[in-house]
Amino acid sequence: MATKPDTIYRAFDRKASAIVEFTLRQYRTKTSTWVVLGVGFTALALIFLIYIDVMGSEFESIDNDGDSTDYDNDGYPKGQEIRLGTDPWDSESHPGLFDTPIEPEPASMYINEDDFDWDITSKLGTQTTGIDDDGDCLNSNKTSSQKDTNNNGIPCDIIVEYFKSSDGNVYTFVSADSGVDEDPDEDAYSREAIHLAFVLSIGKLGFVLLLGIFLPLFMATGLIRDEMTSGTMHFMLAKPIARSEVFLYRTLGYLGIVWPYVIVLGILGALISGFVGSGDAFFRFADLGVWMAIIFATMMATLVYGMLFNALGVLWKYGIILAIPFAAWELGMALLSMGAPDAFLLRFSVIGWALMIVDSAAMLVWPNIDLFILMGNWGGGGDGGWSFDSSLEGSAPLDFFSSKPGLGLSPFLGAIIATLVLLFQAIIFWFIGGALFKGKEIQ
Amino acid sequence: MIPDFDQQGRAQTKEWVPEVTAPAILLENVSKSYGRIFALSNITLALNGGVTGVLGMNGAGKSTLFNLLMGKLKPSQGSIKLFGTDPWKNPAPYARVGFVPEHENMYDWMTGHGFVSTFARLNGLTRDEASIEANRVLEFVGLTDVAHKKIGQYSKGMRQRAKIAHALVNDPDLIILDEPLQGCDPLARTTIMNVIRELGRMGRTVLVSSHILQEIERITEQIVILHQGRLLALGNLHSIRERLDKIPHRISIQSDNPKQLAKDVIDIDEVFGISFPDGKNLSIQTHNLGAIHSQLPRIIVDNNHKVSTIDNPDDDLASILGYLTSGGGI
Repeated sequence: MATKPDTIYRAFDRKASAIVEFTLRQYRTKTSTWVVLGVGFTALALIFLIYIDVMGSEFESIDNDGDSTDYDNDGYPKGQEIRLGTDPWDSESHPGLFDTPIEPEPASMYINEDDFDWDITSKLGTQTTGIDDDGDCLNSNKTSSQKDTNNNGIPCDIIVEYFKSSDGNVYTFVSADSGVDEDPDEDAYSREAIHLAFVLSIGKLGFVLLLGIFLPLFMATGLIRDEMTSGTMHFMLAKPIARSEVFLYRTLGYLGIVWPYVIVLGILGALISGFVGSGDAFFRFADLGVWMAIIFATMMATLVYGMLFNALGVLWKYGIILAIPFAAWELGMALLSMGAPDAFLLRFSVIGWALMIVDSAAMLVWPNIDLFILMGNWGGGGDGGWSFDSSLEGSAPLDFFSSKPGLGLSPFLGAIIATLVLLFQAIIFWFIGGALFKGKEIQ
Repeated sequence: MIPDFDQQGRAQTKEWVPEVTAPAILLENVSKSYGRIFALSNITLALNGGVTGVLGMNGAGKSTLFNLLMGKLKPSQGSIKLFGTDPWKNPAPYARVGFVPEHENMYDWMTGHGFVSTFARLNGLTRDEASIEANRVLEFVGLTDVAHKKIGQYSKGMRQRAKIAHALVNDPDLIILDEPLQGCDPLARTTIMNVIRELGRMGRTVLVSSHILQEIERITEQIVILHQGRLLALGNLHSIRERLDKIPHRISIQSDNPKQLAKDVIDIDEVFGISFPDGKNLSIQTHNLGAIHSQLPRIIVDNNHKVSTIDNPDDDLASILGYLTSGGGI
């Protein structure tokens, strides 16, 4: 037989588990829960369908330097003529007229024939890199000054310069000798870049922003308020339990349904992008680190917003109206963080910190992402690409969605600090919500 | 452990022991106002042990009083103590309190047993203890048969009893019931009244509100009358009744032959006036209701009258209030 409880905090966990369990079971009975979860799932599923479609399509290989074309109609592509030293613009000069005539090579040999081989170690200073794979610089009959168009004394190389301007930002400058890495493999680059951009954009906008705000908006705002409105709060408050405890446990119950949901969706996303994504490997295991960060950041966002929106629900009957300006502010901050991850305003948002976790993980998992974006934006220098933008497809969106974690810290430390800040925000909103609830008269 | 900065007094410690000398309920000069409207004004009241009925018309302040006691509302003035502790500041005393709210909304998706046992765990019981306790109280209120049905399928009386079970699950010393009989069928009414009387016999302090005098009369003799936020009367119902008996009462009888019936009842000494409001009704005026009610059935049966209703239009709260507020006083 049970003994009579005589303290408030006796068996703290018993109360907590009772309210959490009760809240979970209550969510199960509400149609709105299933609608919100279903809409979230559908929205993300649509984005993933687009992603799968893009990954399944062919990226057209482009002859960036234009050396696959036979301009003088002698049957030899420009690249072959340059390599063998004949005049690509003169039909009377071609390798077929040599003492031992050489057969024309297929034009496809001169598409994607000189892909990126950059090896950059440090993030500041001037470096030289790049290899002329197809030999149209090194082996051609150019003069030595023609082989060193960037004037650094090294023939057939690329100068990559990182310099810090007076405003503290790091700028890059790329200057290549003509004919080095001039015809990169679009399909390989774009597939990889679009994959990375998709993972980052789905993670940041789809998960952290969309799920992170809309789940709490529709599910946490009524946690206390609905009970107060219907009068059923009387049953709970007739028990020896502090109101801030009720507030906390109700929020934990909400997390009990939202967190598993986010984790399941995140795992689905990781599986889809792992199998469908670019690369030779059967599964992209490395990306799992980023997906874990996305799931974790979303969980933190739903925690902080859950506390905040629950508190807003306590504050006013129509708390969801109060929550909307917050959601709008956070949307703006999310977009700001893409362009200016160091913006001061971001420190006054939740999403800024949450996205910092994703950015940090992306930095750790894909340490060369900056260089990768740089290569894509340079895109071979556009040597012969009169009809092409020199940037490669995929580099612009990747550039947009990828940003350095703010505060100028190392990625690992940045993620830890962001997590601590988010926890601190959650505790602050819990205290505010608990205090509001405590001062509330309930009819 | 949750820090609770507003908490006062000894309840901060884990070893919260209620003050044994303090009464279960102690209100001192308590007022509750909304703007310039007083829902309760200057109530002073101490209760300990036994069943007390709180009588009042709708809007008299019964629910406000109970919500103040349950810490839902903050008093505008005065102090409220449950077992010596202010309930607005500290929920600790609710370990010894059971509350049946007036609100009709319940968790319809829960079973009766699930409802009682889940909330029992908020008293600090484990899942197993709570289940045992829930079975005990559900049997006490007579809901064992339907304990595992959804509350949504319950009748009004069953719902009220489930609420009472929820309040009793921690074996409280003080039970507060806000209109527990409202909307119940006669059978449920009787069951609930028996439960309340039983609790009184067990030595618990029970506070039960109603706006129907007869209901309270069947439960207890000790009453508190609230009227327009004021404590109008406090004491034994019988002493109030006796004074009430000295003022004229009406008994209204509907009969097929009121004139003949009038001839028969005029012989009762206590009848001092008879009138015929319409063809079917007979109205008797008296100073002593009890005497009339003891003789009336015999007269009707002996003279073979066909009577469809006997009504005491004055024997309700409104007439008591009318009497008390018109300067009678107690």
